[in-house]
Amino acid sequence: MLRPYWRIVIQAQLTENSIIPTAGQRFLRFARRLFADFPTALGTSIMLLFVLAAVFGPLLAPYGFNQSIYEHPRQPPDSSHWFGTDHLARDVFSRVLVGARSVLLLAGGGTLVAVALGTLVGLASGYAGGWLDELLMRLFDSLLALPALLLALLLLGTLRAAYGESVSAVSKGLGVFLVLAVVYTPIVARVVRSVVLAVKTRSYVEAARLQGESLGWILFREILPAALPALAVEAALRFSYAIFLTSSLGYLGVGVQPPNPDWGLMVNEGRRNVSQVPWAMWFPAAAISLVVVGANLMADGLKRALREE
Amino acid sequence: MKPETPFKRLLLTALTLLVAASLWLAACAPAGGDATTGEDTTGGESPAPVATEETGAPPTGPSGALRVAFQPIVQTDPGLISSDSEVFVANHVYDYLVDIDAQSNPTPRLATGWTVSDDGLTYVFTLAEGVTFHDGSPFSAADVVYTFNRLRDPEGGLPTASLYSNIAAIEATGTLEVTFTLSAPNPFFLYDLSDNHALIIKDGTAAPTDFNGTGPFKVVSYTPEDRIVLEANLAYFQEGKPGLAGLEVIFFADDQAMVDALRGGQVDLVMRMSTALFESLKTETGITTLDIPTNGFDLVRLRADRAPGNDPRVVEALKLATDREAIWQLVQQGYGAVGNDSPVGPLYGPYHDPAVQPPARDVERARALLDEWAAETGGDPALNLVLHVPDSGGRPDLAAVLQQQWAEAGIIVEISVEPESVYYGDDGWLEVDLGITGWGSRPYPQFYFTQMLATGGEWNEAHWSDAEVDALILAAGSTLDEAERIAAYGQLQAILAARGPVIIPYYFAQFGALRDGFIGFEMKAFAGRTDVSGVTLATP
Repeated sequence: MLRPYWRIVIQAQLTENSIIPTAGQRFLRFARRLFADFPTALGTSIMLLFVLAAVFGPLLAPYGFNQSIYEHPRQPPDSSHWFGTDHLARDVFSRVLVGARSVLLLAGGGTLVAVALGTLVGLASGYAGGWLDELLMRLFDSLLALPALLLALLLLGTLRAAYGESVSAVSKGLGVFLVLAVVYTPIVARVVRSVVLAVKTRSYVEAARLQGESLGWILFREILPAALPALAVEAALRFSYAIFLTSSLGYLGVGVQPPNPDWGLMVNEGRRNVSQVPWAMWFPAAAISLVVVGANLMADGLKRALREE
Repeated sequence: MKPETPFKRLLLTALTLLVAASLWLAACAPAGGDATTGEDTTGGESPAPVATEETGAPPTGPSGALRVAFQPIVQTDPGLISSDSEVFVANHVYDYLVDIDAQSNPTPRLATGWTVSDDGLTYVFTLAEGVTFHDGSPFSAADVVYTFNRLRDPEGGLPTASLYSNIAAIEATGTLEVTFTLSAPNPFFLYDLSDNHALIIKDGTAAPTDFNGTGPFKVVSYTPEDRIVLEANLAYFQEGKPGLAGLEVIFFADDQAMVDALRGGQVDLVMRMSTALFESLKTETGITTLDIPTNGFDLVRLRADRAPGNDPRVVEALKLATDREAIWQLVQQGYGAVGNDSPVGPLYGPYHDPAVQPPARDVERARALLDEWAAETGGDPALNLVLHVPDSGGRPDLAAVLQQQWAEAGIIVEISVEPESVYYGDDGWLEVDLGITGWGSRPYPQFYFTQMLATGGEWNEAHWSDAEVDALILAAGSTLDEAERIAAYGQLQAILAARGPVIIPYYFAQFGALRDGFIGFEMKAFAGRTDVSGVTLATP
């Protein structure tokens, strides 16, 4: 079968032994890289498991996450309650499983918003330069000067003061979401900006500019792809930090409110009853660590996969 | 650039996991399982400056020292104290005129005896002889008169002013005799005289923060937020007291730290702790655990002066949706007693009527009542209320279990756990529709009725106003006939169980843990009124 002429020409221009892979092939190759070696495969598996738990957790949970099983209070882990029951006779396994969703929604959602905002700001700041860059970066410097947890506490405290008692459990969740966005946007913006600064003087960007391409095209089709590897790694890292921050806020009692099965909150509740029901603290704590380790391992693998790409 | 080897990263991963694991273990280990942990909580131990078991003491008189863990004290003026640690310290530095024993009966202290006139209006007290203040000055009737005039002064700004507003006159009718005249009979007057604040101070002391009392112990040193060190008052007027040469109250921020210190040997007595911590101490050797029932309780209340709480069907539905026994078993782990929605707990003896029971749990009927109410008034059959709860004690747990039990009856509540300072701050707890409030143990039940349930009561958080209830409260609080009072309390309990806008699911237990080696210790329902002046070393 004869191939169209243009295709042969393009292929000839490409480097040795390469063909243009289809999107599906590229995805498969990328997916294979995420399982290429043991640590990355481990991290990816943990994250897959976590996402599955977040999506299907409430369906899979053997008991209601707030259901007291009066006959089995404070029961150590066994075959009927894999993670035991807590001080209020609730099944810890069901709570950890259902809690995955709030962690994914809060930490994941907050990270996504921060990445989106940070990318926009980083692109604008880096490309425009000048006074806009100065202004934004000094503003972000001042935000970054505060430790993330302190900034989060300040923001939540202000939200609470502004809305007083009427802050419902839902909007407290929203508060955590907002806090994550505010705390992590500057960090993402700085990473994107540094890539933009390195790339914007490259000849292909110059060429696009001279060709009269629109600003949107230059930013999103010429510059952004160069920032994607760094951005993907940053997003994965931010996500793991976001889990920590969400859990810390839950632990400190300013995040999600009881009796929601937030992992940090469960660790706090478990701490108060650790002498009687230590397992009620072990398992949510283990879940937090596992997901954080998983996210980090995956970020590591992602970095290499994208570098080799 | 050579990427780091998978092996190296695996090693790093393993290391991370190991660190994480050891962190949990550190946090989970039965806190202070040996003498080395828990040191951080007390900030490095310096040897107690008073005589201890090891250093010995003079062969005669009091010997040894008791180290008690408590939360830090703030107020030292007896007229202003409130926390149990403040009352505990004051109770050992000063004396009450009349005390309350462990069975909640009035008992002599500085007053050796008293007579009451037939009309119940005149009380004459005979005072103990040979009593001196810690500064050496003698004690007399003038000190009693001064103390109570200060406490009842409406201009004085002390919290006792309204409690003593019924006193018409206080006179020193002899050097060691005081006569109180009331404007109306008060069957609980002796209890009022033993109010936590009614510690006798020296005549003329404007701001009594100098610890100049007549009590069994004298203050040696007070370091705010650290400790207060007391030594035996060898001139104490009660024979054989105090039994210990020293008493040290060491301050801790939370009960976990107190229990760690007890395990680590830095303190001998802890009287405030969670059920979980108490349970964990039961297997500890060398420590005796004590639990006594009290009259204190957690009150779940719904505002009765506005919708939805102003309809008896809503109140009944909440009562029907609540399983008190299950709550008691989960939240209090079976310590204390199950509640019957009235503040007259089983510890009040004849006043408590065991026959009175709130309606048995019936989820279907609760749902039907709410549907009926909603159809008639256009209200929300799920109520959708915010349940406000302070973050202390078992209250958040109670809220979680209630939320779940009520959900079975279709009642939706959203829990708002608030720091105590926020819950009680700006009187927010008196405003909200649905809330949970802890009420401490009192020696007689009238207090709860006048403060919490009578129309216009200062802490009538449910904003309840019921003419029948008001009349019964008045009768119980003014009659001098004990049988009449018992009958009135019985009726009040029946009304509260049936239609009071309150749910009392349990009465607390008071927990204590004492290191072995002491005898004569008797804990009281209000930990702060526990008197250790009769405690001695088992082997002096």
